[in-house]
Amino acid sequence: MSFKEVPFAGTVPSPKRENEGMVTGNWRTKRPVLDKDKCTDCLICWISCPDACIDQSTTGLAFNLKYCKGCGICAEVCPSNAITNVPELDYAD
Amino acid sequence: MGVKKRISGCVAVANGVKLADVDVICSYPIRPYTGIMSELARMVADGELDAEFIHGEGEHAQLSVVYGASACGARAFTGSSGVGVTYAMEVYSPISGERLPLQMAIADRTLDPPGDFGSEHTDALCTRDQGWLQGWSSTPQEALDMTLMWYRIGEDPRVLLPQYSCQDGYFVSHILGEVEIPDAAQVKEFLPPYKNHHVLDVRRPQIIGAQIEPAMGPPLQYQRYQAVEGARQVIKQAHAEFAGIFGRSYDPFVEEYMTDDAEAAIFIQGAHAETAKTVARRLRNLGEKVGVVRLRVFRPYPTQEVRLALSKFKAVGVVDNSANFGIAGSSGVMLTEARTALYNLGDKVKTVGFVGGLGGEMITHDEFYRMFAKLKEIAKNGKTDRDGYWLPFEL
Repeated sequence: MSFKEVPFAGTVPSPKRENEGMVTGNWRTKRPVLDKDKCTDCLICWISCPDACIDQSTTGLAFNLKYCKGCGICAEVCPSNAITNVPELDYAD
Repeated sequence: MGVKKRISGCVAVANGVKLADVDVICSYPIRPYTGIMSELARMVADGELDAEFIHGEGEHAQLSVVYGASACGARAFTGSSGVGVTYAMEVYSPISGERLPLQMAIADRTLDPPGDFGSEHTDALCTRDQGWLQGWSSTPQEALDMTLMWYRIGEDPRVLLPQYSCQDGYFVSHILGEVEIPDAAQVKEFLPPYKNHHVLDVRRPQIIGAQIEPAMGPPLQYQRYQAVEGARQVIKQAHAEFAGIFGRSYDPFVEEYMTDDAEAAIFIQGAHAETAKTVARRLRNLGEKVGVVRLRVFRPYPTQEVRLALSKFKAVGVVDNSANFGIAGSSGVMLTEARTALYNLGDKVKTVGFVGGLGGEMITHDEFYRMFAKLKEIAKNGKTDRDGYWLPFEL
């Protein structure tokens, strides 16, 4: 990266939702998995996520695994036990 | 035209801040700089100054408050002394990194121990490599003038860097001097309103201080390096403009006193320079060829100007009013930087360090006589026995 390509003082012109050059979810050891039948859409997990990586989509809540670090707060705060922490080693990817 | 008053360095700085018409001030008490904040608090309470006066819960908070204020486009002011300066250490680099030209006054105080209320440059010198501009005043008048000058230099669009305006605790901050307080109209002419091109604004959202990728590190540091280096030219211009408007002129980087035909000189910064000048004048009356060179700007270090000023002497005694344990040359940072400035001249100028005035003790006339005597011996013999001396134990 050359001197001229960097914004002045590192100031980013507008907030970017995702930065593809800084994917930080790859150190996660446990993955949150949602049971949609139990989920009541109360959004307690959504507001509690310290990394704001729970998205509200038309088909319900979805975890953004590019940034989720597996802290487990969402599973802990869920009043209907709809979220489970599953070890990453259980997945092939 | 201005008004002449007998005021302390603290009150002088408060007057400078008032004339600079700052928008946000953040305080936290610690002697001796507190005198600045109590005077500013009075000014705000009495309606003399229209500014937000915020009391922080500590120095780290103080710097964080002015950091945010400056990012919102406010001209901001804060200050501290001693361990207060070091407690805020984390916040200095982000402020210069985000290029926010706020000002911090430092009235020097020792770190712990001895933790007394005495002046030592150790506190402010700890911050020397944080990307801020930095310099020492030696009188209350200079402290007021530098408050205005640092804002003018730091806010220049070619610079955009924060500034430490330093003065010796007590020797400047609490001793009265005759100060000409300039007219507000003159200040308005000298110091245009603060405008930064990357301020926080809800209509134009942006992130200041975003987390960056490692590849952005080198170019960002290079930007800051260029800003600090580029400040040299702006410092010269601001001093010339200041002299034109206020009729008081300072050499921008180094002040020379009785250096014509001098063979030995003391190189020093801050208030103790005034004592050194008195001794140099008395020695001149006795026919000794001695002088004093006072450093006014420490960052950016005026390498060329120091080289030019010191190269004409046979022997230079560099006085450090700070404790730099284990430093190269076993003296202080003033010596190491002066030697670096002189390095390309080879062994032409003999340099020796003198550490003195620690814990807020005076560097006495007698001590300066002993330093000049040592320099005379070095100039005569053309060699130095050792790199530095701690006064009063070793000289």
